[in-house]
Amino acid sequence: MKLELVAHTPNVETMIATSMLTTTSGAQPSALYDRLLNKPEKVRGLVGRAEVQHGNILEHNRLVWELEATGDEVLEATLDTKFLTFMRLGETRWLVSGNLRAVVEYAQQRKTPLTDALVASFRDVAPNVHGFLEDKER
Amino acid sequence: MKARLLAHTPYEDIKDRLPELGWRHLLPHLAYTFAVEKISRACSHQLVRHRVASFSQQSQRYITVKRLSERVVTPPTVDDSERFHELVEKANQVYLELVKSGVPKEDARFVLPNATETSLLMTMDGSALFHFFGLRCCNRAQWEIRRLADAMLAQCRDAEPEVFEKAGPYCYMLGHCPEGRFTCGGMAEALERYRPDR
Repeated sequence: MKLELVAHTPNVETMIATSMLTTTSGAQPSALYDRLLNKPEKVRGLVGRAEVQHGNILEHNRLVWELEATGDEVLEATLDTKFLTFMRLGETRWLVSGNLRAVVEYAQQRKTPLTDALVASFRDVAPNVHGFLEDKER
Repeated sequence: MKARLLAHTPYEDIKDRLPELGWRHLLPHLAYTFAVEKISRACSHQLVRHRVASFSQQSQRYITVKRLSERVVTPPTVDDSERFHELVEKANQVYLELVKSGVPKEDARFVLPNATETSLLMTMDGSALFHFFGLRCCNRAQWEIRRLADAMLAQCRDAEPEVFEKAGPYCYMLGHCPEGRFTCGGMAEALERYRPDR
């Protein structure tokens, strides 16, 4: 099985932080986003508290992967999670996409080669979310 | 009201990698995140009926509504109605009295009208967004959400013209009106209005 991240929405963690503040702040979401884009420390602090928030803060993004896997491996994944979208590209080639919430919840619920690869794939895209998943595993 | 496309999955990145796939195939894999600002709660109620989407909305449990009369969306048809503005003032007064007397904001908000402004983050995938435009850009959609849908479509066309020049009300996308006997009869005007080179 081989997984590669092909595309993703930009500034994933800034969007998570924006989402967190939108619910509790009187400021407009676009202003919050613009402000947070230049404040990585603030974003890190907010995302560090993400665990105690509603999971929907992890939904304002999308990651797209190319996957090489057998039909059985994909069937197992689709039975495990209904929140990832799979599209067949060839005998063992698939396009897969989903948001960070789908990946995080799937990885917390099952440990498989696919969930390990999914988590590893977003290390650079969402380093703080990746960090707290790793910490939990330790 | 304001809608701003904050982020989206870059279509080009996937197209470069998988040129054999057309944009229609990729729609479920593309996501679009908007800041939707200063719409009425009546409008946000309609918005959340589009269930294949994610929302993070300003919470009235946490945010105190101050100066309600400056934070309402007023439909043009009631703009001249003294009764409407009186009621908004009264609701504002009762709300603030309740909060001041120690009633939690989550309970005091029950007196606030549907006209109360709200803002939110909304993320939809491409398929859901096309469906949203099909329904909400339609002349039969309610004016506020139609205005919002038009603003969102304009942003999408700026960001991804190749994908979104095909999006618009269902009559524009299908080439016929699916509204049956409820048709507005204005399909020719709609086709002209949503023509991308206009």
